[in-house]
Formats: sequence, structure tokens, C-alpha cells
Amino acid sequence: MISRILRAGILPDDSMSDTDAQALFKRRRNMVVILLAILLVIVAGAITTPSFLTVENLLIVIRAASITGILALGMSYITISGNLFALSGEELAILSACIFAFLMRAEYGLFTSLVATLLFAAACGAIQGGIISYGADPIITTLAFGGLFRGIASLVTNNKNILLGTTAAEWLGTARPLGIPTQSWAFIFLTAFAWFVLQKTRFGRQLLLTGANREAARATGLRVGQASLVALILFAVCCGLAGIFAAAQFGLAVANLFTGLNIDVVAAVLVGGISLRGGQGSPIQAALGAIFIALLQNFMLLHSFTTGERMLVVGCLVALATLGFHMLQRRRA
Amino acid sequence: MPGDSSILRMRGIVKRYGAVTALQGVDFTLERGEVMALIGENGAGKSTLVKILAGLERPDAGTIEIDGRRVRLRTPNQSLHAGVAYVTQELSIISALSVAENICLGGHTSPIWTTAQLAARVKPYLSLVGLDDIDPAMPAGSLSVAQRQLVEIARLLSRNARILILDEPTAALSDAEIEKVMAVVRTLASEGRSIIYVTHRLGEVFEIAHRVTIFRNGVSFPPVDVERLDIDELIEHLLGRRLDQMFPERGISIGEPVLALEDVMASGLSEPVSLQLRAGEILGLAGQLGSGANAVVRAVAGVPPRERGSILLRGKSLDPRDMREAIRMGIAYCSDDRKRDGIFGVRKLIENLSAPAIGRITVGGLLSGRRERDLAGRLAEFFEIKVNRLGSQAGNLSGGNQQKVALGKWLGIEPSILLVEEPTRGVDVGARAEIYRHLRTLANEGLAILFASSDNQEVLGLADTVATFFRGRLVRVAPAADITPEALLRDVTHPESAESEALT
Amino acid sequence: MSRKETIADLAIRTVFMAIVYLAFATLLPSYHTMSGLAALFDGAVLIGLVAVGLGVTMLAAEFDLSVGSLAAVIGVLAINLIAGGMGIPLALVIAVAAAVVYGGLQGLVIAVTGINSLVFTIGTLIGLRGFALIISNENSVTIPIPRLSETDVFAERFLGILSPLSIILIIVLVLVGLFLSYTVWGREIYAIGGGRAEARAAGVSIVRPMVIAFALSGGLAGLGGALSSVRLGSATPLGFDTLLLSAVTACLMGGIALEGGRGNVLGIFIGLLTLRFLVGGVASLGAPYWLQSLAIGALLILAIVVQMAIYLLRRRGARPQSLSPQAS
Repeated sequence: MISRILRAGILPDDSMSDTDAQALFKRRRNMVVILLAILLVIVAGAITTPSFLTVENLLIVIRAASITGILALGMSYITISGNLFALSGEELAILSACIFAFLMRAEYGLFTSLVATLLFAAACGAIQGGIISYGADPIITTLAFGGLFRGIASLVTNNKNILLGTTAAEWLGTARPLGIPTQSWAFIFLTAFAWFVLQKTRFGRQLLLTGANREAARATGLRVGQASLVALILFAVCCGLAGIFAAAQFGLAVANLFTGLNIDVVAAVLVGGISLRGGQGSPIQAALGAIFIALLQNFMLLHSFTTGERMLVVGCLVALATLGFHMLQRRRA
Repeated sequence: MPGDSSILRMRGIVKRYGAVTALQGVDFTLERGEVMALIGENGAGKSTLVKILAGLERPDAGTIEIDGRRVRLRTPNQSLHAGVAYVTQELSIISALSVAENICLGGHTSPIWTTAQLAARVKPYLSLVGLDDIDPAMPAGSLSVAQRQLVEIARLLSRNARILILDEPTAALSDAEIEKVMAVVRTLASEGRSIIYVTHRLGEVFEIAHRVTIFRNGVSFPPVDVERLDIDELIEHLLGRRLDQMFPERGISIGEPVLALEDVMASGLSEPVSLQLRAGEILGLAGQLGSGANAVVRAVAGVPPRERGSILLRGKSLDPRDMREAIRMGIAYCSDDRKRDGIFGVRKLIENLSAPAIGRITVGGLLSGRRERDLAGRLAEFFEIKVNRLGSQAGNLSGGNQQKVALGKWLGIEPSILLVEEPTRGVDVGARAEIYRHLRTLANEGLAILFASSDNQEVLGLADTVATFFRGRLVRVAPAADITPEALLRDVTHPESAESEALT
Repeated sequence: MSRKETIADLAIRTVFMAIVYLAFATLLPSYHTMSGLAALFDGAVLIGLVAVGLGVTMLAAEFDLSVGSLAAVIGVLAINLIAGGMGIPLALVIAVAAAVVYGGLQGLVIAVTGINSLVFTIGTLIGLRGFALIISNENSVTIPIPRLSETDVFAERFLGILSPLSIILIIVLVLVGLFLSYTVWGREIYAIGGGRAEARAAGVSIVRPMVIAFALSGGLAGLGGALSSVRLGSATPLGFDTLLLSAVTACLMGGIALEGGRGNVLGIFIGLLTLRFLVGGVASLGAPYWLQSLAIGALLILAIVVQMAIYLLRRRGARPQSLSPQAS
């Protein structure tokens, strides 16, 4: 019987050396690039602006990076599963913030409000994921849902602020255990979690394989639709979390709580170098990309770049980065 | 050269794909107004040569002269400009456009296209290929495969080329349709055009070709006048590849039937097929393009599901809803295109090998690194893939190693039946021998293997039992030991001659 | 699709449009009056122009995410030129020409590099928006008051309903429709959208139809942005932010397939009107403007789900088997 073959033979020793230098270098190369970029911005900032390396400024950067990063981590599940990216993150975060604020104001308590909001966000993710898993275009679908979420958020808030009305969430939004903001703790935890899921769980492996070659994944008996669905749910939960943090930090939720977040998140993932073909890359790249984008935005702000100039820079960066990675991939093929 | 009337002269054409040399310095000439047949076994090089002429591939060495002038055919457009038109095996019909638009696309026309004008333009070509009753304005997507093939030929005709290449044009056609194509080819030749006709169907060679060039192992032989040939000589010429020590001994432990096909009809077959596969047996389905051999393998795998007939797995009806169910039943299926659905190119080798058996390396939702290394290591060991390459990207491996992965990964689920199409496509000789050895070992351990191959030698060498196919029907089933290479070749290229021989 | 199928498909969409219209007509008297209808059509012009351009890129199996941002840029550009002393017609011509050139360049980059257009245009979407902010100095820009009267021509009405803008939309619809159906270059766009690999194998140039498609989407987005800004007398750099959503909704409701190769301009027109009847009706019923994106989003989701269902059902039907195996 075949099982005989599987049980026979010599067990290879655990030191399975990765002698494929090329692949190793390539995997690390993307990470090296983004690390260098981060270093570059820090150095440039430190040299050119005295207020760059101050505690207050770094706090701002870290908090911004954490929010962008939480969303970028969620997005990395989508990109790695071969679904390119989602355009509904910012809107879902806003909507989640509104729901959370509404629940807190209605005195449901911190824990209940948290859980309910996250469940709501997960449901929103599931609906999008369901449609995408049946083959709808992920970008257009999330574009549509983004509009829907934005509209619902406007509806729920009646275009006014929703005050939380209680300081119960204040700790969540503004505390700094061990000097590190709560958002950053969440960011660190989620990075580790994402890494763990992709490297060590069955679902993560399914996600990677589905992104690497969807047809092969199907032929191998993997649940291809399920991978997309769960990726969207994970992303949505991250959106919910970001919204909750923002509402907790500012004590209110409003329909324009975030602006330009979609752009920063997409830029973070793309500049971090996660391959848009899917099946490759690490959420750590998304996290580093978010840190880089936050540093870059901060650097530009301190140098009095106007909103337009900042957007232009980010836009060119994204366009060039995607072109660059695309050409590199083509050269190798 | 002065006085040289050949319309086409190719000299010293060399083409390599990595370690494999597809063409080893081939010379080829074509005269005006002649129909030159190109025949040869799978991998012999005839399609490669033709692709070079069509501008789809570039030669590594050699020259091409058309009408006495040197030409560079680097792109399909340049080839078209030089007067070459090509009908391929891969259909290039665009479903979204109408029949008339498909025919006129890419050619030289006026910028304004009206339905009436296009229809008038293409009608003569459509009637030449026997598609008179097709409305030129109808969307090409609603045509059958055979009709699409004919539209492709109609497009070829409309290009007004001097050199026309038809690569296996009759693969999907009925007798009547083939007659039409033959008539067209004869007419074209009489008009002074030159036709290269690639086929495996020897009957067609005798019907329309003036001369025939035989390819073997990347080498072409001087063309022979068809008039002076008979079928036996042709078959003699085609054979002759040395049967190296490539193939291991045949099966020793053949057991009970595990798979029974009864009157199965599926897309690609023209007559119902009945076959039986036993445990520990390797059943090889021999046949060329359009023969139906692959269709049978696909029917068992259910991609797509069969149209009629029953397939019994150990007595119970086999009707898997999808691949997952088939895998659960112990059926492993390997298509002929590993790049499309056999390999995860950007993932590591170890992940490729463990993919089908992901459930077995999981403990409570978490992957067990130890179990995965264990499984992958044993599989790599068995298939003779260097263990220290387990961390490499699968896409960076050689064709042979990739195929081993595509095949070998299925062992992880301990299947009882392995279905394979073209088990050694794009694999070098050394790896081929290894794959054959491994498959035989697996069969000896009880695995039932059903494979389809257009490589006749492979079928004869590897299989215990051979089923031959031609034009969608099963010709014969016999133990491999009882079939000669000539008989097999006859079956898949010209079974009428075999039958008539049997009668005398 | 055959001619018969196309007509049937358009007929169904027209019926749906009529239902939407009637639903609101019973509630809103303005839907019966000439001036009410005129206002509806006027409101549709901007989305319509952009939808036609976007639809062409979708036919080619591509997508231009940057149309909204480009409309904003060109709108600001046109107003800046006018405020700087240029006559309105010339300013419009230059602005639109700039849009066409930009679009063509974008298409060229995408065609030559082979990059996914969704991925590339996300970068240009961001960059162009930034550019709009820069050339407008982060502010709305307006036509100087003494010259505002030059824009009165846009308020005229022909035949009671049609404003110059509506007429321009109709001309564009007709021209693009003829182009797509009756010229080689138009059919090539369908070819690369309906079967990219097959088109290449058949010898069709990929670059030309791509450049044309993106030049059209850029040019029409620019035309829409410039016209609506000039008519209004001002342009905001952050404007046109729901334009993309509306345009793609109009296209999908009009039967343009995201996979490419299917759909036509008449369908886009019907989808546009359907969208306009719905959104305009919702607005006229007193809903605040920010509810519009909710309505459009919901409509788009509906269109996506319906189109997907049809696609899946169609795939379950018989499909010709490809030839196999491949001899060497």
C-alpha cells in the first residue's frame, strides 16, 4: 500500500537548508527596501526638522501608523489571497465608529459595545466576502460597499456628531500602557497575529495557496471561496477596531472621522511590496509600509507641504512603486 | 540563389527550450503550389518549426528565406507581412465578436465596418469552408468547436497569404467538414499558393499532400514524394526512436477491478467508451489531438462531468460534485497543464507537496511543521527530488522536477486511483525515466493508474494495458505486451489500414 | 451576443428604467413637467459623459479609477484659464485636449508595461487629486464675476428640454456608439476585451485600442469636469468624489460586463437614466444629498449581484471544450 512508502524511507534531518539563495534574497529584498525607506525618512526628518524626533511628534506618528497599520494588516489578507485590495476600509471604520459611539451613548457599556460593533463589522465583511467569493470583482464590489457604508454612516449620524457621552472608553483611546499607546499595542498584537495565522494555521496556508494559483488550489481540493470570505471578514474586523479606537480617542464619531485613510492603507500595502499577484508576502510588509507612510506624511506636514502636495507625492509613490514591482516581476518571468 | 524556385527555404534552424533541444539544425524547403505534409511523433519538432515560421517563436540559430529574400520573423505581424498565414491548434476566435469580424480582424481592411460590407466580404470564404448557412453577423461565441476551427481556416484564406500553415486543422472536424477542408487546400495549391499541412492522420497525408517531411527527435528528413510512398513505409519512417532503458519492468501484482466505465460519452468523444481498470494496473490511453484519450481521463475526474454512461468505483456509481469530493473518494487527478493548475509556482516546494494532504499535517487547526517536513521529505525522497531544495520556489525548478511535484504531491492523500494527462510533457529524458520508475513502483504497491498520452512510446513502455483512440473513438484495448509499435502507431494515425489488414 | 439577444437585453433594461421612473413619477409632480425632466437630464450629463468613457475601458477589460480625480483637475484647469483671461471656448478646448493627452499616455503606459489598470490607476487617482489641490491652491476657483454672463449660454433650452450640455451628451453618445460599432478601431476594443490572448494570437495590436480607450475615458472625464465647472462658474479640487461610483453604476446597470467584450453605449444611456431617476427622485423626496451615495452604492451592489448571477448561470450552460492534447 502507498502508506508503506510514506512510512518507509529515511527521515530527512531537521536542518532543511534553504539553499535557494535567489528566493531568499527576493523575499528579504522587499523587506530590506521598505526598512531602508523608513530609515531614510527618519534620518531626513531628524536632520531637517528639530521637532521631528520629539516625544509629542513621535506619538502622533505612532498613533497614525497604528491606525493605518491595523487596516493595512487587514488588507494584507485580501491582497495575499489574490483579491488585490479593498476600497471600503475607511467607510467601514467610520461606520463602526458611529455604531460604537451610538451604543456607548445608549449606555450599553464598554464591553458590550465593543463586541457588538466588532460583530457588526464582521457581518459587513462577510457580505462583501460572500459576493466576492462567488466571483465578483473585489475592487468594484468594495467600492460599491464603501459608498453604501458612507451613506449609512451619514444616515445614522444625521450628519452630526455622536458623542459617546461617557468616559468609559477614554482609557481605550488615550491610554499609554508602558508608554505605548493602546492603538500601537493593538497594532503590534495584530501584526503578530496575522503573521501567526499565515505561517502556522491551516487557514493561512489555504489563503496563501489560493492567492498563489487559484486554479491549482481548486484542483487540490482547497476551499477557494472560503479563503476570500474569511479574508474579507478579517479585514472588516480590523476596520471595526480602527473605528472603535478613533471614537474612543476623540470621544465622538462623525461621518468624516477619517479622511484619506483608504489612500494611506492602499499605499502602505503597495509600497510595502506585497505582490499584487497574490500568494506571496508577509503582513509584516504591510505593517512596515504603514509605518513608512505615516512617517512620510508626518515629514511632509512638518515641512509645510500642502494637502495637495502630500497627495501628489503619495500618488506618484504608489504609481511608481506598483510599476516598479510589476516590471521586476516581469523581468524574472 | 539564381534559379531557385522554392518559395520558402529554412536552413539550420535550432531551437532550445532550456535543456531540451527541440530543433537540432533543421532544413526545410517548400515549393510553389505544393502541399507539404509535416508529420512526426510528439516532441519531434514539427509544431516548433511551424511556430517559428509564424513568428510566435524565435530560432536560436538558422536562416529563413521567402521568395529568395532573407526575412526576420520576430512577431506574428512580421510573419503576416511576409506572406505567411497560420491556423493554430489553440483557437484564436473571440467570442464577443461576430463571425465576420473575427475573420476580418488583424487583416487589412477599410476603417469603416458595416455589417453588410463585412458579410459580403467574408461570404466567399465561409462558403469555401462549407459554412454557407452561417450568418456572418452571428456572435462567434455560439459556434461549436468544429465551426470555430472552420472560421479560423476562413480567416486564413482571407489573409491572401502565399504560404499557409495548417497545424492539425481537422482535429475537431467531422468527415464532411474534413472533405471541405481538403477541397479548399487542393484549390489553393492549384492557385499557386503553398501549404504546410501538419497532421498525425496519415490518411490525410495521402489524400492531399504532394510531398511529406518527417520529423524525428528534432531532426527533419529530406522530403519524400507521397506518390512513391505507401502506408507501411511511412510508419516505418516514423518509428525508430531507440527504446532506451527508460521503462521499467511491467506490472506484477494486478488485482481486482477498481474502476469500470460503461458506455461513457463526454465532450471530445464521438462514440461511447467502455473500459476497466484494476488495482495495481497501469492503463495507458494512446491518441493524438482530438482522439478522445484525454477526454476519457477528464470524464473520470469529472472535469467536466460526463454526459452519458456510468462510471463505477468499486461497484458504486462515481459522480463527484467537485474535486474535493473526488479527493475524498481517493481519486487524484493531474491535468496536462501543470503551470495552470498543477503547481503553486511562487510557493516553496514543501508547501506544494503538502497541499493536497493539508488535513493530515494539521493538528487542531494549526500546521505541524514536523509533520509537513516529514511528509514532504518522504515524498521528495521517493520521487528523487533533492531534499535540500524543499525550500525553493516551485517555479524555479526544472520541468522534470516540477512534474514530479505535480504528480507526487497526490501521494499524500494515499489515493487508490491516479489519473494523469500527458505524464511527462516538457520533461527531459533523465527525469522521464525516473517518473516512469516511480509510477511503476506505486502501481506495484496497489495504485491504479490511468493515463492519456500522445507519446506512443511512453504508452507502450509504461502501461500494462493499452487502449488506442482515433478521432473520438476507442479503436482497441489490448495488453501492452501484445501490441507492436507499428500497430499502435497505425491505430492512432490510420486505423482503417489496420482494420483492412486484419481482414486480409 | 447576437442582435436578437442584445435587443432583448436592452428591452429588459428599458422596462426596469421605466418602472423606476413611474415609481417616482407617481410621487413627484416634477417628473411630469418639462422643466423637471430637463433638470433630470442636465443632472445626468456629467455622469453620462464619464460613464461613456469609463464604459469603453471596461469593454476593453480594463478600468480607469482616476476619472473622478481627472474631472476635478480639468475643471480647475478650465476655470483657471478663463480666470486668467482666456475665452471660454478656447479654454474648454485646451482643457479637454490636455485630458485626452493625459488619458492616452496613461493608456500607453498600461498597454506597454502590461500592468493591471486597476492597480495603476489607483496611484493616478491619488496623484491627480493632489494635483487638483495644488493648481487650485486648495481652494475653490471661480470665474470672475464680470465674465459670469458668458456662461449664460449653458442655461438655454432647445425644444424645451435640451440644454447645450444635454445636446453635447447626446452627440457624444452617438459618436462613440458609431465608433464602437462601425469602425475597426472600435471593434478592436471589443476584441482585446472579449479575448485578450485570442486577439493577440489573431494579430490584433493591443496598444492601439488601449490607448484609444483610455484617451476616451480621460477626454470624456475632462469634458465632463470642464463643462460642469464652467456652467457652475466654479470648480472645487475635492469635487466629483462620487463620480466614479455613479459612473460605474450606470455602466453596470447598462449591461457593460466587467470582464470585457460585452455591452454598448445605448445600454449605458439606459443605465444612466435609471440611475438618475432613482437618485434624483430620492433627492427630490427630501433626502439629504449624502444619502445619495447610499442609494448609488446599493444600486451598484444590486447590479453586481445580478450580473454575477447571470454570468454564473451562463457558465453552467454548455461551453465548447477546448482541443486537447497539444501535440508538439
